Amino acid sequence: MTLSLILQALQAGITNGFIYALVGMGLAVIFRGSRVINVMHGEFSVVGAMTTVLVLTAAKYPYWFAIIAGLLTGPAIGALIELTLVRPMIRQQATEDQFVLLTIGLERAIAASVLFFIGRDGHLLPAFGGDHVFIVFDVVIREHSLWLIAIAIIVVIALREFFRRTTLGLALTAASIDADGAATTGINVARMRTLTFVLGGLLGAIAGILITPLIAVDYTTGLPITLKGIAAAVLGGFTNPLGAVVGGLTLGIIESLVIVGVSSGYKDVLTFSILIAIMIFMPHGILGRGGRGGG
Amino acid sequence: MMRPRFALVLLGFVLWAALPHLLTRHMTDLLVFTAIYTVAGLGVGLLLGQCGIVNLGQAAFYGIGAYSCAYLTVELGYPNVTGFAVGAAVSVLIALVVGWPVLRLTGYFLALATLALSIIASSIFYEWDWLTGGELGIGGIPKLDFFGFKLDTPGRFYYLAWGVAFLSMLLVSNLVSSRTGLMLRGMRDSSEATASLGVDLQWLRTRVFMLSALLGSIAGSLFAHYVSFTSVQSFTVDKSIGFLLIPVLGGVRSLWGVVLGAMFVTILPEMLSQFGDIHQILFGIALVAVVVLLPDGLMGLLRQAAGKLGWSRVSA
Repeated sequence: MTLSLILQALQAGITNGFIYALVGMGLAVIFRGSRVINVMHGEFSVVGAMTTVLVLTAAKYPYWFAIIAGLLTGPAIGALIELTLVRPMIRQQATEDQFVLLTIGLERAIAASVLFFIGRDGHLLPAFGGDHVFIVFDVVIREHSLWLIAIAIIVVIALREFFRRTTLGLALTAASIDADGAATTGINVARMRTLTFVLGGLLGAIAGILITPLIAVDYTTGLPITLKGIAAAVLGGFTNPLGAVVGGLTLGIIESLVIVGVSSGYKDVLTFSILIAIMIFMPHGILGRGGRGGG
Repeated sequence: MMRPRFALVLLGFVLWAALPHLLTRHMTDLLVFTAIYTVAGLGVGLLLGQCGIVNLGQAAFYGIGAYSCAYLTVELGYPNVTGFAVGAAVSVLIALVVGWPVLRLTGYFLALATLALSIIASSIFYEWDWLTGGELGIGGIPKLDFFGFKLDTPGRFYYLAWGVAFLSMLLVSNLVSSRTGLMLRGMRDSSEATASLGVDLQWLRTRVFMLSALLGSIAGSLFAHYVSFTSVQSFTVDKSIGFLLIPVLGGVRSLWGVVLGAMFVTILPEMLSQFGDIHQILFGIALVAVVVLLPDGLMGLLRQAAGKLGWSRVSA
């Protein structure tokens, strides 16, 4: 294994890691706000990417317009799910098992709808910056990867500032920490929960649109994206959206080093063995309890 | 009340035995799959209904059962029964070794852990092509035979598959009404109270997980011998989700619900096959609908309907 091969793997790992981070953050935002682990989360990415593809190719609108259209699907679906399904189920005090089953059902229905209405084929989006590549120390870096990383970092910082500084972000945090207390100060807790799904959906759609120039997206892509995001969120402690960034990058880098060092076939074996081990032995993620503060 | 019920059971039995002769070969084929899926679904249903554990890993054990039959009979030429036995033994052992640590988790994280197990298993099935044939799979798995009577048509396999399904139902039914069943319900409804009575919850959950794995493995072995071909596509996470769908749709608290759920997932796709893959959408919507509206599944719906018509409960 040469140095440039390792650097190449690191580059791929960091790129994937930021995708896992975005998905994991979305999952963590929803989990913190509603105590639901959203198994259909990857479908936000698939629908966002597919909508962008369709608006771009079928309707021939400009790329930026297609991206905005794609981004909007995430919040729309998120709000719809929260208002029509999650809200009544929380009222009935549904168990965690029921939420797992509910979101698996949604995942199945959306993935199957993509298959039924769009077809089996994978779709790619044009890369940001075209096919331009940079070559640094024999490492080939696509310009799109740099855009992806830059946008992901901006999203992470924006989310952190949103939760820390804006009234709305603080209200969201308050509603998730102490619902009754927040309600007495005039925060509409149910609306805050809807908002966490809107935010989670947006993060999912961003991840989907950013990854689609690199990996063709089809109807089967959603569940693996969810699972990687869950792994990232679990590594990061799950209640802390910023922890998912650490978790996602760790996961992405380990994964690509395994591909180079061992074999690409065993990357899922390793990723998900780590996931199980972390859940059993480090229930607060790799950051531990200390990592829970802030964010 | 004894005699009409006995007559009803007898009538049901005669109808069951006559079905392969009345139906087309294709319909009989679907009923064989219903039986195989019932066996695998019973395990998942037992975990969910009695322990409140969402098991998204059943396809792993289904795969172990199928591959051990395929490998031992085709590659090594051992008799058919060894495949069933080795598959069952390996599955139960893995369920013990993996279940013991994993079943410490609860709720979401347990469900996610079983899902992760299913992915790990399907990656391993894919990678260990010396054992599983990888993407190409293993073909030419011999048909089962009993003393020279070859189970080489759907009509013949039907009796074996349903025989195993009924035996499994009997086993689960006895378990649920035994002392262990009481402990299970106690654990589900109030785990602290049950633990304070001296019940070892960890061991109890592991044992049910082992039983569920055993049923999954037997179903996989039946599947391998029935279609005489195994490939990695049959043991993916999608299959695990399918196995979870069976008891949830049918109704987790009832044995016959599992049969109903298995029928739903085998027969509905055929009825809708002219519309392409639309059944997949319906499965997803059905799952959502059951979770939100029908906590007791289709069986609960049937019971309600029967109640409205003034019939007493007919199922055992």
